[in-house]
Amino acid sequence: MSEHETDPAKLPRLGRMLLWVDKPGSANKIFYGLAAVCVVVFLLDFTYEKHAYFDIEHIPGFFAIYGFVMFTGLILAAKALRVLVKRPEDYYGDKAVDSEAYPEDQLEKVNHDGL
Amino acid sequence: MMGFEAFPTAFLFLIGGLILPLIPKGPIRGMYMLLIPALAALMVWNIGFGNFAQVPFFGFDLELMRVDGLSRIFVLVFCLASFLGNVYAWHLRDTTQQVAALLYAGSAIGAALAGDLITLFFYWEGTAIASVFLIWARGTEGAFNTGMRYLIIQIGSGVVLIAGVALYYHDTGSILFEKMTLGSLGTWLIFLSFGVKAAFPLLHNWLQDSYPAATITGTVVLSAFTTKLAIYALARGFAGTEILIYIGVVMTLFPIFFAEIENDLRRVLAYSLNNQLGFMVVGIGIGTDMALNGTASHAFAHILYKALLFMSVGSVMFRTGTSKASELGGLYRTMPLTAMFCLVGAASISAFPLFSGFVTKSLVLGEAASAQYQWVWLALVFASAGVLSHSGIKIPFFMFFAHDSGLRPKEAPRHMLISMGITAALCIYIGVFPQTLYAILPFDMGDYQPYTMGHVVGQLQLLLFALLAFGVLMRTGIHPPEIRAINLDTDWTYRKAAPSVIGFAARGVAVIWNAKIAFLLGAFNKVVARLYYSHGPEGRTAREWPTGATVVAIAVLLAAAMVVDFV
Repeated sequence: MSEHETDPAKLPRLGRMLLWVDKPGSANKIFYGLAAVCVVVFLLDFTYEKHAYFDIEHIPGFFAIYGFVMFTGLILAAKALRVLVKRPEDYYGDKAVDSEAYPEDQLEKVNHDGL
Repeated sequence: MMGFEAFPTAFLFLIGGLILPLIPKGPIRGMYMLLIPALAALMVWNIGFGNFAQVPFFGFDLELMRVDGLSRIFVLVFCLASFLGNVYAWHLRDTTQQVAALLYAGSAIGAALAGDLITLFFYWEGTAIASVFLIWARGTEGAFNTGMRYLIIQIGSGVVLIAGVALYYHDTGSILFEKMTLGSLGTWLIFLSFGVKAAFPLLHNWLQDSYPAATITGTVVLSAFTTKLAIYALARGFAGTEILIYIGVVMTLFPIFFAEIENDLRRVLAYSLNNQLGFMVVGIGIGTDMALNGTASHAFAHILYKALLFMSVGSVMFRTGTSKASELGGLYRTMPLTAMFCLVGAASISAFPLFSGFVTKSLVLGEAASAQYQWVWLALVFASAGVLSHSGIKIPFFMFFAHDSGLRPKEAPRHMLISMGITAALCIYIGVFPQTLYAILPFDMGDYQPYTMGHVVGQLQLLLFALLAFGVLMRTGIHPPEIRAINLDTDWTYRKAAPSVIGFAARGVAVIWNAKIAFLLGAFNKVVARLYYSHGPEGRTAREWPTGATVVAIAVLLAAAMVVDFV
């Protein structure tokens, strides 16, 4: 559980049901469950005949490999890009939307327990 | 000749917007704002194909109402977006924004129905002027400045358009808005002006600059019209222009890197929007009937799931005051319905089977493959994995799950839940029953079937293994954290570089100017000092000054009298 305790009874029912995702061990279960599903969809590739436009599509699990490798590459490249382009939030001064608050009178900030 | 077989649909919005201030605020005005897009959609649906409203204008015949397969689907989805946006903004009591929302939608619809380039120009500028009020309505200085930048670029696009139209008319003698071939300066200018609004690479940054600056409800409206109008215009005017394929590919690729490291979730969505436009532009570049169907259907689906995502981020902002990923997290506890709707939007944009993106994007990818553009196809598949990373994972995960921010906002207000619910239902409906959407596309779809074993398994592999990669990167701590920062993009050139170059030049000029003034003043002072020394009261010449001067004066007078006498 988090450091921000909230009485579960006060949460909406759907929110209460979803609390499961924050239980210790749930993250592991989700991750390994996903891995298991991945193995299944990888193996599905052997069960049908491909009508491919390109030769590379005939590699078993082409989309799986491509997805995994390119996603990882994307994240690493984005991290590198951040080194180059990251600037403080007030870089464009205090007359830019990034460094100013959204006007309170256009909001309806209410907590779930009405406070 | 006046030929009004039909009332132009856009006028419904324009007149409706003008009399809106007379309608009492509250539920009546809310209903009124829903009625207009509903009526407009019914009208376009029932009118059939053809050219309906011709108006003479300075010797030109303007075509205000060209309904065909291509314009109809865009007008229908514009009506739908306007309707959903107005449901979402039910709580709004700001007349300016309400009028702007109607005029903006009306302008976009008018432009999509325009049969000639002059009408297109008027509505083109109409979208620019109406929409900026949705940014200014935020009422802060930052929003005002952003709005000015937005307006300059949008109006500029219109100016380039009318210049291109004038040249095009000069070359061809026609103002009809039909398919053009790039070649003359006129067609290039028209192409460029479409490209600005379609957010082509390097012309794109107005989008990421302005959409996060608009009001919560304004951004939902903004996300639907301007860019998709440009997509429509490109599809109408430049279908099959090969350069669009490569422009589109770059558009799908570069925003995904920026979206990944952006902290403001509404700006993440703006980058993601840019990436989605890329798929549509590729479809236009390929230009076959099926590819254009892909573009039109993808625009339709995209307007819905993009609006849904902006709505969900907007709802969170409405309750918490921020859309920054670094400040959010764990909101599923108290906003579970918003979270679910956001997940539907995320699944749709990521093109999971049974969601809308899957049945539309596969058309564009399929056409790229069947035309044997292997690198284009590989890039689009990569970009599809990129969509998952920012819109599929980042938006819902860092807002509703991830670390607990400790925020416990109340669930979104009922009208926001209703509009998100309808939009989410439509996203799923299109994904499950794609034939409904396929039936209203510009060209015949034949017996196209998106749900083949190869399609479904391939897409699931791509998405699930990308998700797995995300899991691995999160568990190893490699995934970049959400931090409070901004990232430079091309707006740096006109927000920082140009002002500092101008500032530098101004300082340089000022230094030289001051030096020159100082030099001249110094020289003048020296002359004065010298004169004072020689001719001043204490000066040497002063002693004989009065008599000497009189003698000189008399001599001059004498000389003058002699000259006159002589002549």
